[in-house]
Amino acid sequence: MSLAEPAALPVATSAPPRLDVLKRLTIRFKASLPAYLLLLPSLVFLALFTYGAMGRVFVDALYQRATPKAPLRFVGLDNISAVLTDPAFTGAVVNNLIYAVGTAIPSIALALLFALALARTNAVSSALRAALFLPVLIPMVAASALFMFIFLPNVGLLDYYIGRLLPVLPNWLGDSDVALYAIMVITIWKNAGYYMLFFLAGLQAVPEDVMEAAHLDGAGPYMRLRHIILPELKPTFLFVTVIAILNAVTQVDHVFVMTQGGPSNSTNLVLFYIYQQAVEHYDIGRASAATLLTLAALMGLTALSFRTMANREGGP
Amino acid sequence: MLFSRRLALGIAMAGALAFPAFAEGPTEIDLFFPVPVDGKLARDMGTLIKEFNETHPGVKATAVYTGSYDDTLIKTRAAIKAGKPPSAVIMSANFLLDMQIENELTNLDALIKADGTTKEQFLGQFFPALHGNAVINRSVYGVPFHNSTPLLYINADKAKEAGLDPSKPPQTWAELTDWAKKLTKREGDKVTQWGIAIPCAYDYCGWMMETLTMSNGGRYYNEEFGGEVYYDTPSMLGALSWWNDLVTKHKVHPPGATPGPAVSTSFISGNAAMMMLSTGSLTYVRDNAKFAYKVAFIPRNVRNAVPIGGASLIVPAGLEAEKQKAAWTLIKWMTSPEKSGWWSRATGYFAPNMAAYKTPDMVDFLNKNPDAKTAVEQLDVAKPWFATYKTVPVRKNLEDEVMLVLNGKKQPKEALVAAQKAADETLKPYNAETSLKLP
Repeated sequence: MSLAEPAALPVATSAPPRLDVLKRLTIRFKASLPAYLLLLPSLVFLALFTYGAMGRVFVDALYQRATPKAPLRFVGLDNISAVLTDPAFTGAVVNNLIYAVGTAIPSIALALLFALALARTNAVSSALRAALFLPVLIPMVAASALFMFIFLPNVGLLDYYIGRLLPVLPNWLGDSDVALYAIMVITIWKNAGYYMLFFLAGLQAVPEDVMEAAHLDGAGPYMRLRHIILPELKPTFLFVTVIAILNAVTQVDHVFVMTQGGPSNSTNLVLFYIYQQAVEHYDIGRASAATLLTLAALMGLTALSFRTMANREGGP
Repeated sequence: MLFSRRLALGIAMAGALAFPAFAEGPTEIDLFFPVPVDGKLARDMGTLIKEFNETHPGVKATAVYTGSYDDTLIKTRAAIKAGKPPSAVIMSANFLLDMQIENELTNLDALIKADGTTKEQFLGQFFPALHGNAVINRSVYGVPFHNSTPLLYINADKAKEAGLDPSKPPQTWAELTDWAKKLTKREGDKVTQWGIAIPCAYDYCGWMMETLTMSNGGRYYNEEFGGEVYYDTPSMLGALSWWNDLVTKHKVHPPGATPGPAVSTSFISGNAAMMMLSTGSLTYVRDNAKFAYKVAFIPRNVRNAVPIGGASLIVPAGLEAEKQKAAWTLIKWMTSPEKSGWWSRATGYFAPNMAAYKTPDMVDFLNKNPDAKTAVEQLDVAKPWFATYKTVPVRKNLEDEVMLVLNGKKQPKEALVAAQKAADETLKPYNAETSLKLP
């Protein structure tokens, strides 16, 4: 965004003869040939397993069978519009929005709180950091199995302890009003420690001298947080928010293990909806269409946030 | 989770490529098996396959654990699509029709004929109630391996405490309601002991609805044709209304949708005095209950009738003849009276092979554990398990609505109308190709 550079550009693009360009390209290509050769094996595998699969999704999204024994035929955007009008899909999108906002904000807030409290390294704070980081090390599937026992109605750990204070407790995973929030608690528990790491790293980058100067000028802890620490942490916030939102869409292991989207689709998230279309309904066309929609939304979101980040970095 | 599975599959495939079977060596076959109930089934399966390999040098079978019944269907389909089908699969008995419609099963008639037996002789080994889910269009597609029926489990100690006689278990819904009321304990608003618990999670919920509907005189689905279900009917309305009454009117059943393992834990811990659960959980209850328990038939409202559950052995389509033959050897061995009986004693499922109950080991076992007899006796009134085109989504159409009712969000009638509408929509493509395809 700097205004100094564009002045130099016209010189570089002042159309040189065509042959010259070709020659220059050949030379450049020859020079970097070994590099391309070295990259070739990974490029082949990337093409086969990443882009090939993505290309297949694009193609699959355009085809559909009318009846079980009928051949696949080209249907254009019919699959996409069928997915968009499916109440189960819109329900999953709404659930996913609630889930994303409801897990990102609390886990980021907790992570920041932990990081601020444990920023100074000593024996106690490193032990506490390790304790808070522990949930990250537990695989999501194992954590879900643990929480299934914690959430068991009447006999689970949660009911055993809270049951002494409150007389009537909900069936945590069996009540369609509560299940999504029960699942969100696990995500927050699991991710807060992970995001804490980023904030701890971000806090190291807050300049000591500025903090000292503020201290000397008589700025209290709140003033220092509000006017120095938080502005310095802006890039970290942005990055962690993107990660948190991506996690909200791509981590559905606990839904698989604990509720399978139920009861009555109340914990159905977009990725689980895709899974259901692909394997339960055996409808690859719709599953691919839903995948494309999700991919588009995620890429749009990521591009937007990284552009904001780039703007910020480049700005004064 | 998906990635690690994919990775594991990749490693397995790489392994298979790196060590091709020697021309003279044994035929290598894979058996996919699910673990759908409580207990240590995976270890027992290892023991069984080890014994098979030791006694059959020509075949080397490998047992591959594939998760729940639903997961096993998914993985089998993925393997078929990838061109590497397993040689045999223990498949939920009600998925066979759907797989046959999708051309994913090997018709077993030829293999039976090659053995010199007729279809009637072959099927005659198994309890008649199991034929419905193994035979499609008069061809055999599955061999019953382990089967179950739902049972009523009663905590006998608690029943005595409440002044009830556990040797005369409730036989009708009226009696069961009465028992459940007497077995429920309250402290103010809080229930400290539930009278009865019935599981409702995807898969179990549909099976329990079929159980209650059948004992209320109903059918749930069209046994002869995969394109119809009977959700919006008086028999199912009565069944769902009674279940709803247990929760909201009598308050003797925990509200919400509770999965099977949570129900059995609740029963074992004494938090629920009665439960309806599969016979497949019988061994788990026997090993873990620290109180006297009693199992009984599912009580009736109109008639005594229950669906079967459990799984059949199938051979996926698209296998080489050699592997097909090896798989058939394994299947016949696993469903023989001795092995069938051994598996039944290890798991609590009943043995589908009738001759298993005449083996000395089994006679001995039944004398020691008379509770294992109940499931076998109940077979006289058992009927096939619902199987339609797209069984899982059609079942889920009903389950989602039942869960809404159990959570107090919908009335039974309204829920069943919605379930019927959704299921008709799911079945539409199949009907368009069959019942509604007119000359």
